[in-house]
Amino acid sequence: MKRLATTFGAVLALASVAAFGAHAADVPGVTDTEIKVGSFGPLTGPVYIYGKLTMNGVEVYFNKLNAAGGINGRKLVLVREDDLCKPEGAIAAVKKLVYEHKVFAIIGGGCSNPTLAARPELEKAGVPFHVFAAVADGIVDPPAPNIYTTQLTASIESKSQIQWALDNGAKKIAIIAQHDAWGRSRYEPMLEDFKRRGLHVAADEEVTVDQNDGTAQALRLKSSGADAVLLLGYPKAAAVVMRDSIKIGYKPIWVGQTAIQDLPALQGLIGIDGAMSSFVSITTIPGHPDNAEYAEWRKLLKDTFPNDELSVFNLMGVAAAEVFGKVVEAAGKDLTREKFLAAYSTINNFKSSVYPGPITCKADHKCNQSPAFVKLENGKVVYAGSVELK
Amino acid sequence: MLMFSYLMATGITTGAFYALVALGIVIVYKSTEVVNLAHGELFMVGGMLAYTLYVMSGVPYLPSLLLAVAGSFVVGILTERVAYRSVLKHGLASVLVATIGVSFILKGIARYIWGGKGDYLSFPPLVSPEPLQIGNIMIMSQQLVVLSAAVVVMIGLAIFFRRTRAGKWMQATASNPKAALLCGLRIDRIYMYTFAVGAAVAGAAGVLMAPLTLLYPDVGFVLFIKGLAAAVLGGITSVPGAVVGGLLLGLIEQIAAGYVHSSIQDLVPFLVIMFALTFLPTGLFGLRGLRKI
Repeated sequence: MKRLATTFGAVLALASVAAFGAHAADVPGVTDTEIKVGSFGPLTGPVYIYGKLTMNGVEVYFNKLNAAGGINGRKLVLVREDDLCKPEGAIAAVKKLVYEHKVFAIIGGGCSNPTLAARPELEKAGVPFHVFAAVADGIVDPPAPNIYTTQLTASIESKSQIQWALDNGAKKIAIIAQHDAWGRSRYEPMLEDFKRRGLHVAADEEVTVDQNDGTAQALRLKSSGADAVLLLGYPKAAAVVMRDSIKIGYKPIWVGQTAIQDLPALQGLIGIDGAMSSFVSITTIPGHPDNAEYAEWRKLLKDTFPNDELSVFNLMGVAAAEVFGKVVEAAGKDLTREKFLAAYSTINNFKSSVYPGPITCKADHKCNQSPAFVKLENGKVVYAGSVELK
Repeated sequence: MLMFSYLMATGITTGAFYALVALGIVIVYKSTEVVNLAHGELFMVGGMLAYTLYVMSGVPYLPSLLLAVAGSFVVGILTERVAYRSVLKHGLASVLVATIGVSFILKGIARYIWGGKGDYLSFPPLVSPEPLQIGNIMIMSQQLVVLSAAVVVMIGLAIFFRRTRAGKWMQATASNPKAALLCGLRIDRIYMYTFAVGAAVAGAAGVLMAPLTLLYPDVGFVLFIKGLAAAVLGGITSVPGAVVGGLLLGLIEQIAAGYVHSSIQDLVPFLVIMFALTFLPTGLFGLRGLRKI
């Protein structure tokens, strides 16, 4: 009898081990002790900040979770791939993460066009993908079952910029835009919204990401009589045009977007006192990385990346990782990709420590629809308000 | 009329930028017949070194400028010794390819060292950042500093090449390396110092222009293209040509952007290069490449 019980016990133990083992083998990137999460974006090249720094933010949050024991006993391990901000790079990176590293899910997408190019591969692989920085609407529109974003999308931002100008009394609105892939992902929805509202674009000017002088642009904007200028450019382009506008005595309402979130840095780039008095920008974070509320992230970043100063890009990574972690937790201990994707629907009015508005994942998979504006007041970044899109 | 005045003034001051970059390209080409495609990155290195000294370490401006220029000079020597000298025997095309490699390496190093400190690094200007009124127009004071510096560097280089023995050695080596070698010149050393002087000029330009261009690892590329366009237009072997080419490029750019559309501003350097190569192959001041056999 004793022998029978021992045999039965051994069989039972083996069966349970086999069952558990089968589960782990069935779910890519998941073991008893860890969840392998992939990330892709530019780690090198001119726009490495959207990849490397954002991934650093993700890693900082994962480290925090891991130090507290992980999620349901599993630690999150980040595997990075460099897409060089190129479409072919993003496709290759996704393939490598899915088929070579066999990750459970991906949190990434630093650049819009490469991420857009990788969408078919992501859909084909069925790997859950959480966008942390790219803004092109096409990444999630139309929604794919396995793709969600917690970044504001380009069209939401562009419409919000117009709305801000109108709400603040602008009669003639001009656009100054980079016409690269990033700029066009915002510029085209902006033109459509002008058309939809029956508005005329007072001046439509172009800057480049490496612009060193913006006098010609400033003169053309001024001669158009525009009292508000919507800036679709990176900080350097914005700084150069604003600096040269001050030089010629032109001071409209400047409305920026999330590429220009570090307002003290922009003030530093322009270098002229009072340059920011009529400037507002849409924000991913409702303050400045130097503010007291981000002290924890500053410390944790320094612990892992001693050379880095906390930036908006780091915080974008932290914010996306907070939501990602919440979804992993909601998916439960028996983690599968299906349960993970289903768990996005439980994200309702989630308040992250970084995003200004609540995060709610609905059928459109655009979980962040709360654009907030910030301005610089006495050297401090302060909340300027929000808009209701009409 | 006011718009025209602004565009002319801005054309001259931005043209001085391009002239300063073009000068470094011309120095190297004049002596080695190599277009140093890493010249923009040497510009960046100069700016970053000055940023580290002046902004991060609190060293006063003038010592920072001099140390950054000296540092760029050393980087110029290192690149020649490590990357260019060993491939020179395979021909100038190999050196050209090596300069591309150096360009990528310098950018990679810069991203590693300064990459985590923000997307763009601002560098405080030497003079007041407030615009200065001249007549009825306003000009950024720092632009006048760059303009003055371009003139000083141009005069210094003209004296160097015409009056000093080292300058003459460099020209002799460029003209006929074998003859120079037979005359006892150590051409390997002359090449090394040529790259170093070119790097030092790029470093000086980087420090002076940093308050206006801002600093980031990729800042050099566009300025290099514009400097190259200025050098080709002026005559790639001519020091005064580099300055005139730079000023002309700046003016054409501004007039085109102001009166046609801002979208063509960045197209101008490429059009200038194509125009110069087609209609002015030796540039405005370049020497005719005739040789008797």
